[in-house]
Amino acid sequence: MSLPAILLVLFALLLVGLLAWALRPPPHPARPDVDVFDALRQSRHSSRLPHILQALLPQDTEYLRETGQVALMRTLRQQRRRIALGYLDQLQEEFEMLLEISRVLAVMSPEVVGMEEIERWKLSVTFAASCAFLRWRLRLGLQPFAGFTLLSNMAADIARELDAATIRIAEATVRASKHSAFGNENIDVQ
Amino acid sequence: MIEPLQLQAAAWALTTALELVLFALFLRRKLGRTYPAFFAYLLSVILQSLTVAALYRTPNLAKLTIWLIAWGTQGVVVLMRSLAIVELNRSVLRRYIGIWALARRLLVGVAVAVLAYDLALSKGNWQWLILNGIRGLELAMAAVIVTMLLFARYYRVQVNHLQRALAVGLCLYSAFYVINYSVLERIVQQYGVLWNFLGMFAFIASLLVWINGANQYAEAEEAAVPPAIPPELYGKLSSEVNSRLILLNRHLIQFLHVEHRSQ
Repeated sequence: MSLPAILLVLFALLLVGLLAWALRPPPHPARPDVDVFDALRQSRHSSRLPHILQALLPQDTEYLRETGQVALMRTLRQQRRRIALGYLDQLQEEFEMLLEISRVLAVMSPEVVGMEEIERWKLSVTFAASCAFLRWRLRLGLQPFAGFTLLSNMAADIARELDAATIRIAEATVRASKHSAFGNENIDVQ
Repeated sequence: MIEPLQLQAAAWALTTALELVLFALFLRRKLGRTYPAFFAYLLSVILQSLTVAALYRTPNLAKLTIWLIAWGTQGVVVLMRSLAIVELNRSVLRRYIGIWALARRLLVGVAVAVLAYDLALSKGNWQWLILNGIRGLELAMAAVIVTMLLFARYYRVQVNHLQRALAVGLCLYSAFYVINYSVLERIVQQYGVLWNFLGMFAFIASLLVWINGANQYAEAEEAAVPPAIPPELYGKLSSEVNSRLILLNRHLIQFLHVEHRSQ
Protein backbone atom coordinates (compact mmCIF):
# COMPACT_ATOMS: atom_id res chain seq x y z
CA MET A 1 0.00 0.00 0.00
CA SER A 2 1.33 3.45 -0.93
CA LEU A 3 2.14 6.16 1.63
CA PRO A 4 -0.78 8.43 0.56
CA ALA A 5 -3.19 5.53 0.99
CA ILE A 6 -1.75 4.78 4.45
CA LEU A 7 -2.13 8.46 5.41
CA LEU A 8 -5.75 8.48 4.28
CA VAL A 9 -6.54 5.30 6.17
CA LEU A 10 -4.90 6.72 9.31
CA PHE A 11 -6.89 9.93 8.93
CA ALA A 12 -10.14 7.96 8.56
CA LEU A 13 -9.27 5.89 11.66
CA LEU A 14 -8.47 9.09 13.56
CA LEU A 15 -11.91 10.40 12.61
CA VAL A 16 -13.55 7.22 13.91
CA GLY A 17 -11.62 7.61 17.18
CA LEU A 18 -12.63 11.27 17.49
CA LEU A 19 -16.22 10.32 16.73
CA ALA A 20 -16.20 7.87 19.64
CA TRP A 21 -14.62 10.52 21.90
CA ALA A 22 -17.10 13.22 20.86
CA LEU A 23 -20.04 10.94 21.62
CA ARG A 24 -19.04 10.38 25.25
CA PRO A 25 -21.28 12.18 27.74
CA PRO A 26 -19.80 15.55 28.85
CA PRO A 27 -17.88 15.51 32.17
CA HIS A 28 -20.50 17.74 33.79
CA PRO A 29 -23.80 19.05 32.45
CA ALA A 30 -24.24 22.64 31.26
CA ARG A 31 -25.05 25.15 33.98
CA PRO A 32 -28.16 27.30 33.78
CA ASP A 33 -27.48 30.97 32.99
CA VAL A 34 -28.40 32.17 36.51
CA ASP A 35 -25.61 30.03 37.97
CA VAL A 36 -23.22 31.60 35.50
CA PHE A 37 -24.00 35.14 36.59
CA ASP A 38 -23.63 34.09 40.23
CA ALA A 39 -20.38 32.34 39.47
CA LEU A 40 -18.96 35.43 37.81
CA ARG A 41 -19.53 37.47 40.94
CA GLN A 42 -17.91 34.96 43.27
CA SER A 43 -14.41 35.56 44.60
CA ARG A 44 -11.67 33.38 43.19
CA HIS A 45 -9.27 30.95 44.83
CA SER A 46 -6.39 32.17 42.73
CA SER A 47 -6.53 35.57 44.46
CA ARG A 48 -5.27 33.80 47.58
CA LEU A 49 -2.22 32.42 45.84
CA PRO A 50 0.30 34.91 47.32
CA HIS A 51 -0.71 33.82 50.85
CA ILE A 52 -0.47 30.14 49.93
CA LEU A 53 2.95 30.65 48.40
CA GLN A 54 4.09 32.69 51.38
CA ALA A 55 3.50 29.60 53.48
CA LEU A 56 5.65 27.56 51.11
CA LEU A 57 8.90 29.51 51.42
CA PRO A 58 11.95 27.25 51.03
CA GLN A 59 13.84 28.79 53.96
CA ASP A 60 11.63 26.84 56.35
CA THR A 61 12.80 23.47 55.12
CA GLU A 62 16.42 24.56 54.79
CA TYR A 63 16.40 25.62 58.43
CA LEU A 64 15.14 22.17 59.45
CA ARG A 65 17.88 20.50 57.45
CA GLU A 66 20.53 22.59 59.19
CA THR A 67 19.16 21.61 62.61
CA GLY A 68 19.20 17.93 61.67
CA GLN A 69 15.43 17.41 61.62
CA VAL A 70 15.35 15.70 58.24
CA ALA A 71 12.25 13.61 58.99
CA LEU A 72 10.28 16.70 59.90
CA MET A 73 11.58 18.43 56.79
CA ARG A 74 10.33 15.53 54.66
CA THR A 75 6.91 15.64 56.32
CA LEU A 76 6.70 19.37 55.71
CA ARG A 77 7.69 18.95 52.09
CA GLN A 78 4.99 16.33 51.62
CA GLN A 79 2.45 18.68 53.14
CA ARG A 80 3.61 21.47 50.86
CA ARG A 81 3.35 19.21 47.86
CA ARG A 82 -0.22 18.47 48.85
CA ILE A 83 -0.90 22.20 49.21
CA ALA A 84 0.62 22.90 45.81
CA LEU A 85 -1.48 20.11 44.25
CA GLY A 86 -4.58 21.46 45.96
CA TYR A 87 -3.79 24.91 44.63
CA LEU A 88 -3.39 23.49 41.13
CA ASP A 89 -6.78 21.80 41.47
CA GLN A 90 -8.36 25.11 42.44
CA LEU A 91 -6.66 26.94 39.62
CA GLN A 92 -7.91 24.36 37.16
CA GLU A 93 -11.40 24.51 38.66
CA GLU A 94 -11.41 28.28 38.25
CA PHE A 95 -10.17 28.01 34.69
CA GLU A 96 -12.84 25.44 33.82
CA MET A 97 -15.51 27.56 35.43
CA LEU A 98 -14.47 30.53 33.26
CA LEU A 99 -14.51 28.31 30.18
CA GLU A 100 -17.98 27.09 31.14
CA ILE A 101 -19.12 30.71 31.49
CA SER A 102 -17.65 31.63 28.12
CA ARG A 103 -19.45 28.67 26.52
CA VAL A 104 -22.77 29.71 27.99
CA LEU A 105 -22.20 33.28 26.81
CA ALA A 106 -21.38 32.08 23.31
CA VAL A 107 -24.46 29.85 23.23
CA MET A 108 -26.67 32.77 24.36
CA SER A 109 -25.22 35.35 22.01
CA PRO A 110 -26.54 35.88 18.46
CA GLU A 111 -23.01 36.90 17.41
CA VAL A 112 -19.86 35.07 18.36
CA VAL A 113 -16.38 36.47 17.80
CA GLY A 114 -14.41 33.71 16.14
CA MET A 115 -11.00 35.03 17.19
CA GLU A 116 -11.97 35.11 20.87
CA GLU A 117 -13.35 31.58 20.71
CA ILE A 118 -10.18 30.35 18.97
CA GLU A 119 -8.09 32.14 21.59
CA ARG A 120 -10.03 30.29 24.29
CA TRP A 121 -9.57 26.92 22.58
CA LYS A 122 -5.82 27.57 22.39
CA LEU A 123 -5.72 28.72 26.01
CA SER A 124 -7.65 25.71 27.24
CA VAL A 125 -5.27 23.32 25.45
CA THR A 126 -2.17 25.14 26.77
CA PHE A 127 -3.59 25.29 30.27
CA ALA A 128 -4.61 21.63 30.35
CA ALA A 129 -1.17 20.55 29.11
CA SER A 130 0.74 22.77 31.58
CA CYS A 131 -1.49 21.72 34.44
CA ALA A 132 -1.04 18.01 33.70
CA PHE A 133 2.74 18.49 33.41
CA LEU A 134 3.00 20.40 36.69
CA ARG A 135 0.80 17.93 38.53
CA TRP A 136 2.95 15.09 37.27
CA ARG A 137 6.12 16.85 38.45
CA LEU A 138 4.66 17.58 41.85
CA ARG A 139 3.45 14.00 42.32
CA LEU A 140 6.89 12.68 41.47
CA GLY A 141 8.34 15.01 44.07
CA LEU A 142 10.45 16.91 41.56
CA GLN A 143 9.40 20.28 42.85
CA PRO A 144 12.07 22.39 44.48
CA PHE A 145 10.83 25.07 46.81
CA ALA A 146 13.43 27.71 45.97
CA GLY A 147 11.29 29.19 43.23
CA PHE A 148 8.30 29.90 45.37
CA THR A 149 9.53 33.29 46.59
CA LEU A 150 9.81 34.59 43.08
CA LEU A 151 6.48 33.04 42.21
CA SER A 152 4.89 34.64 45.23
CA ASN A 153 5.92 38.10 44.01
CA MET A 154 4.67 37.43 40.52
CA ALA A 155 1.44 35.96 41.86
CA ALA A 156 0.70 39.11 43.81
CA ASP A 157 0.82 41.15 40.57
CA ILE A 158 -1.34 38.67 38.72
CA ALA A 159 -3.84 38.49 41.57
CA ARG A 160 -4.23 42.27 41.37
CA GLU A 161 -4.90 42.07 37.64
CA LEU A 162 -7.33 39.20 38.19
CA ASP A 163 -9.20 41.22 40.80
CA ALA A 164 -9.52 44.13 38.40
CA ALA A 165 -10.85 41.80 35.69
CA THR A 166 -13.29 40.23 38.17
CA ILE A 167 -14.63 43.64 39.15
CA ARG A 168 -15.18 44.58 35.50
CA ILE A 169 -16.99 41.29 34.84
CA ALA A 170 -19.07 41.66 38.00
CA GLU A 171 -20.22 45.14 36.94
CA ALA A 172 -21.39 43.86 33.59
CA THR A 173 -23.01 40.70 34.98
CA VAL A 174 -24.90 42.53 37.73
CA ARG A 175 -26.53 44.61 35.03
CA ALA A 176 -27.22 41.53 32.90
CA SER A 177 -28.66 39.44 35.75
CA LYS A 178 -30.92 42.32 36.81
CA HIS A 179 -32.40 42.37 33.35
CA SER A 180 -32.71 38.61 33.12
CA ALA A 181 -34.62 38.60 36.43
CA PHE A 182 -37.52 40.29 34.62
CA GLY A 183 -37.96 37.21 32.50
CA ASN A 184 -35.73 35.21 30.24
CA GLU A 185 -36.15 37.63 27.38
CA ASN A 186 -33.44 39.57 25.62
CA ILE A 187 -31.07 41.41 27.93
CA ASP A 188 -30.24 45.00 27.15
CA VAL A 189 -26.91 46.61 27.77
CA GLN A 190 -27.12 49.95 29.48
CA MET B 1 -20.10 -23.47 0.23
CA ILE B 2 -21.63 -20.05 -0.44
CA GLU B 3 -20.23 -18.28 -3.49
CA PRO B 4 -19.08 -14.65 -3.00
CA LEU B 5 -21.65 -13.50 -5.55
CA GLN B 6 -24.45 -15.28 -3.66
CA LEU B 7 -23.29 -13.63 -0.46
CA GLN B 8 -23.29 -10.28 -2.20
CA ALA B 9 -26.82 -10.87 -3.53
CA ALA B 10 -28.00 -11.75 -0.01
CA ALA B 11 -26.36 -8.61 1.38
CA TRP B 12 -27.99 -6.59 -1.35
CA ALA B 13 -31.42 -8.00 -0.52
CA LEU B 14 -30.87 -7.32 3.19
CA THR B 15 -29.72 -3.74 2.45
CA THR B 16 -32.83 -3.04 0.37
CA ALA B 17 -35.09 -4.54 3.04
CA LEU B 18 -33.48 -2.38 5.74
CA GLU B 19 -33.74 0.72 3.53
CA LEU B 20 -37.46 0.04 3.17
CA VAL B 21 -37.85 -0.48 6.93
CA LEU B 22 -36.14 2.85 7.60
CA PHE B 23 -38.24 4.54 4.93
CA ALA B 24 -41.44 3.17 6.53
CA LEU B 25 -40.25 4.33 9.97
CA PHE B 26 -39.58 7.83 8.66
CA LEU B 27 -43.05 7.92 7.11
CA ARG B 28 -44.81 6.58 10.21
CA ARG B 29 -43.04 9.00 12.55
CA LYS B 30 -43.34 11.90 10.11
CA LEU B 31 -39.57 12.42 10.27
CA GLY B 32 -39.51 13.45 6.63
CA ARG B 33 -40.75 16.87 7.69
CA THR B 34 -38.01 17.28 10.31
CA TYR B 35 -35.20 15.85 8.16
CA PRO B 36 -36.32 16.35 4.54
CA ALA B 37 -32.80 16.12 3.08
CA PHE B 38 -32.06 12.85 4.87
CA PHE B 39 -35.45 11.53 3.76
CA ALA B 40 -34.59 12.51 0.17
CA TYR B 41 -31.20 10.79 0.56
CA LEU B 42 -32.94 7.63 1.74
CA LEU B 43 -35.31 7.81 -1.22
CA SER B 44 -32.36 8.27 -3.60
CA VAL B 45 -30.64 5.20 -2.13
CA ILE B 46 -33.77 3.09 -2.62
CA LEU B 47 -34.18 4.38 -6.17
CA GLN B 48 -30.52 3.61 -6.84
CA SER B 49 -30.99 0.03 -5.65
CA LEU B 50 -34.01 -0.36 -7.92
CA THR B 51 -32.18 1.19 -10.88
CA VAL B 52 -29.12 -1.03 -10.48
CA ALA B 53 -31.37 -4.11 -10.07
CA ALA B 54 -33.20 -3.15 -13.27
CA LEU B 55 -29.86 -2.65 -15.07
CA TYR B 56 -28.77 -6.19 -14.18
CA ARG B 57 -32.01 -7.56 -15.57
CA THR B 58 -31.82 -5.62 -18.82
CA PRO B 59 -29.93 -7.57 -21.47
CA ASN B 60 -27.91 -6.12 -24.34
CA LEU B 61 -27.11 -2.79 -22.67
CA ALA B 62 -23.85 -1.18 -23.70
CA LYS B 63 -21.15 -1.23 -21.02
CA LEU B 64 -20.73 2.53 -21.26
CA THR B 65 -24.47 3.06 -20.68
CA ILE B 66 -24.37 0.84 -17.59
CA TRP B 67 -21.28 2.67 -16.33
CA LEU B 68 -22.87 6.07 -16.88
CA ILE B 69 -26.13 5.11 -15.17
CA ALA B 70 -24.37 3.41 -12.25
CA TRP B 71 -22.01 6.33 -11.57
CA GLY B 72 -24.71 8.89 -12.33
CA THR B 73 -26.96 7.45 -9.63
CA GLN B 74 -23.95 7.22 -7.29
CA GLY B 75 -23.29 10.90 -7.91
CA VAL B 76 -26.88 11.74 -6.98
CA VAL B 77 -26.63 9.62 -3.81
CA VAL B 78 -23.38 11.31 -2.73
CA LEU B 79 -24.91 14.74 -3.39
CA MET B 80 -28.01 13.86 -1.36
CA ARG B 81 -25.82 12.56 1.47
CA SER B 82 -23.90 15.85 1.48
CA LEU B 83 -27.19 17.74 1.74
CA ALA B 84 -28.32 15.42 4.55
CA ILE B 85 -25.11 16.24 6.45
CA VAL B 86 -25.64 19.98 5.97
CA GLU B 87 -29.18 19.53 7.28
CA LEU B 88 -27.95 17.49 10.26
CA ASN B 89 -25.40 20.17 11.22
CA ARG B 90 -28.04 22.83 10.88
CA SER B 91 -30.58 20.91 12.95
CA VAL B 92 -28.07 20.47 15.80
CA LEU B 93 -26.70 24.03 15.90
CA ARG B 94 -29.25 26.37 14.29
CA ARG B 95 -30.94 27.29 17.59
CA TYR B 96 -27.69 28.91 18.72
CA ILE B 97 -27.36 31.67 16.17
CA GLY B 98 -23.88 32.87 17.10
CA ILE B 99 -22.45 29.39 17.45
CA TRP B 100 -24.05 28.29 14.18
CA ALA B 101 -22.55 31.26 12.31
CA LEU B 102 -19.09 30.35 13.64
CA ALA B 103 -19.58 26.62 13.03
CA ARG B 104 -20.69 27.18 9.42
CA ARG B 105 -17.41 28.88 8.57
CA LEU B 106 -15.39 26.26 10.41
CA LEU B 107 -17.22 23.32 8.81
CA VAL B 108 -16.86 24.71 5.30
CA GLY B 109 -13.16 25.27 5.99
CA VAL B 110 -12.75 21.69 7.26
CA ALA B 111 -14.57 20.25 4.23
CA VAL B 112 -12.47 22.21 1.73
CA ALA B 113 -9.21 21.44 3.53
CA VAL B 114 -9.92 17.70 3.75
CA LEU B 115 -11.02 17.51 0.13
CA ALA B 116 -7.84 19.33 -0.91
CA TYR B 117 -5.78 16.97 1.28
CA ASP B 118 -7.30 13.94 -0.43
CA LEU B 119 -6.80 15.33 -3.93
CA ALA B 120 -3.23 16.35 -3.11
CA LEU B 121 -2.47 12.81 -1.97
CA SER B 122 -4.06 11.47 -5.14
CA LYS B 123 -1.66 13.49 -7.30
CA GLY B 124 -0.52 11.52 -10.30
CA ASN B 125 -3.53 9.20 -10.28
CA TRP B 126 -5.67 11.23 -12.66
CA GLN B 127 -7.17 8.11 -14.23
CA TRP B 128 -8.86 7.59 -10.86
CA LEU B 129 -10.07 11.18 -10.61
CA ILE B 130 -13.78 10.40 -10.14
CA LEU B 131 -13.16 7.68 -7.56
CA ASN B 132 -10.57 9.80 -5.72
CA GLY B 133 -12.96 12.76 -5.83
CA ILE B 134 -15.72 10.67 -4.26
CA ARG B 135 -13.29 9.40 -1.64
CA GLY B 136 -12.32 13.01 -0.89
CA LEU B 137 -15.97 13.94 -0.51
CA GLU B 138 -16.58 10.99 1.82
CA LEU B 139 -13.56 11.93 3.92
CA ALA B 140 -14.73 15.55 4.03
CA MET B 141 -18.21 14.45 5.11
CA ALA B 142 -16.81 12.30 7.92
CA ALA B 143 -14.54 15.17 9.04
CA VAL B 144 -17.43 17.65 8.99
CA ILE B 145 -19.61 15.38 11.15
CA VAL B 146 -16.82 14.78 13.66
CA THR B 147 -16.04 18.52 13.82
CA MET B 148 -19.70 19.33 14.38
CA LEU B 149 -19.94 16.76 17.19
CA LEU B 150 -16.73 18.08 18.81
CA PHE B 151 -18.11 21.60 18.50
CA ALA B 152 -21.41 20.55 20.07
CA ARG B 153 -19.55 18.80 22.87
CA TYR B 154 -17.35 21.83 23.58
CA TYR B 155 -20.34 24.18 23.79
CA ARG B 156 -22.50 21.60 25.62
CA VAL B 157 -25.06 21.71 22.85
CA GLN B 158 -27.61 18.94 23.27
CA VAL B 159 -27.58 16.38 20.45
CA ASN B 160 -30.68 14.19 20.55
CA HIS B 161 -30.71 10.44 20.02
CA LEU B 162 -31.81 10.57 16.38
CA GLN B 163 -29.25 13.26 15.51
CA ARG B 164 -26.53 11.13 17.10
CA ALA B 165 -27.69 8.07 15.21
CA LEU B 166 -27.73 9.96 11.92
CA ALA B 167 -24.26 11.38 12.62
CA VAL B 168 -22.78 8.02 13.63
CA GLY B 169 -24.27 6.19 10.65
CA LEU B 170 -23.18 8.81 8.11
CA CYS B 171 -19.71 9.20 9.59
CA LEU B 172 -18.98 5.49 9.97
CA TYR B 173 -20.13 4.77 6.45
CA SER B 174 -17.95 7.56 5.01
CA ALA B 175 -14.91 6.59 7.09
CA PHE B 176 -15.29 2.95 6.12
CA TYR B 177 -15.65 3.91 2.47
CA VAL B 178 -12.32 5.77 2.66
CA ILE B 179 -10.56 2.87 4.40
CA ASN B 180 -12.05 0.31 2.06
CA TYR B 181 -11.24 2.29 -1.06
CA SER B 182 -7.73 3.27 0.04
CA VAL B 183 -6.77 -0.28 1.04
CA LEU B 184 -8.17 -1.87 -2.10
CA GLU B 185 -7.33 1.03 -4.43
CA ARG B 186 -4.40 -0.76 -6.04
CA ILE B 187 -6.00 -4.17 -6.19
CA VAL B 188 -9.59 -3.16 -6.84
CA GLN B 189 -9.89 -5.25 -10.02
CA GLN B 190 -8.79 -8.37 -8.22
CA TYR B 191 -11.03 -7.93 -5.19
CA GLY B 192 -13.97 -6.08 -6.74
CA VAL B 193 -16.56 -8.45 -5.27
CA LEU B 194 -15.04 -8.29 -1.78
CA TRP B 195 -14.86 -4.49 -2.01
CA ASN B 196 -18.55 -4.26 -2.90
CA PHE B 197 -19.48 -6.69 -0.15
CA LEU B 198 -17.53 -4.80 2.54
CA GLY B 199 -19.07 -1.52 1.37
CA MET B 200 -22.52 -3.04 1.70
CA PHE B 201 -21.69 -4.40 5.14
CA ALA B 202 -20.76 -0.88 6.32
CA PHE B 203 -23.98 0.48 4.89
CA ILE B 204 -26.03 -2.26 6.61
CA ALA B 205 -24.43 -1.23 9.93
CA SER B 206 -25.33 2.43 9.24
CA LEU B 207 -28.91 1.47 8.36
CA LEU B 208 -29.27 -0.45 11.63
CA VAL B 209 -27.98 2.57 13.59
CA TRP B 210 -30.46 4.86 11.78
CA ILE B 211 -33.37 2.44 12.30
CA ASN B 212 -32.58 2.33 16.00
CA GLY B 213 -32.40 6.15 16.17
CA ALA B 214 -35.65 6.64 14.25
CA ASN B 215 -37.35 4.02 16.38
CA GLN B 216 -36.40 5.77 19.62
CA TYR B 217 -37.10 9.28 18.37
CA ALA B 218 -39.33 11.42 20.57
CA GLU B 219 -40.25 15.03 19.76
CA ALA B 220 -39.78 15.94 23.43
CA GLU B 221 -36.05 15.41 22.90
CA GLU B 222 -35.75 18.82 21.26
CA ALA B 223 -33.71 21.04 23.59
CA ALA B 224 -35.12 24.34 24.88
CA VAL B 225 -33.78 27.49 23.23
CA PRO B 226 -31.54 29.42 25.63
CA PRO B 227 -32.38 33.05 26.43
CA ALA B 228 -30.60 35.50 24.16
CA ILE B 229 -28.16 38.21 25.23
CA PRO B 230 -27.21 41.18 23.06
CA PRO B 231 -23.94 40.85 21.10
CA GLU B 232 -22.50 43.90 22.92
CA LEU B 233 -22.86 42.15 26.26
CA TYR B 234 -21.32 38.98 24.85
CA GLY B 235 -18.44 41.04 23.46
CA LYS B 236 -17.84 42.76 26.77
CA LEU B 237 -18.08 39.68 28.97
CA SER B 238 -16.29 37.44 26.51
CA SER B 239 -13.22 39.67 26.31
CA GLU B 240 -13.13 40.03 30.09
CA VAL B 241 -13.41 36.28 30.57
CA ASN B 242 -10.64 35.82 28.02
CA SER B 243 -8.40 38.27 29.84
CA ARG B 244 -8.95 36.30 33.03
CA LEU B 245 -8.20 33.05 31.28
CA ILE B 246 -5.01 34.55 29.88
CA LEU B 247 -3.98 35.68 33.36
CA LEU B 248 -4.66 32.26 34.83
CA ASN B 249 -2.71 30.66 32.05
CA ARG B 250 0.19 33.07 32.59
CA HIS B 251 -0.02 32.25 36.26
CA LEU B 252 0.41 28.58 35.55
CA ILE B 253 3.12 29.03 32.95
CA GLN B 254 5.12 31.21 35.35
CA PHE B 255 4.69 28.51 37.98
CA LEU B 256 6.12 26.08 35.44
CA HIS B 257 9.02 28.36 34.48
CA VAL B 258 9.93 28.98 38.09
CA GLU B 259 10.09 25.23 38.59
CA HIS B 260 12.40 24.84 35.61
CA ARG B 261 14.65 27.75 36.58
CA SER B 262 15.15 26.47 40.09
CA GLN B 263 16.08 22.94 38.93
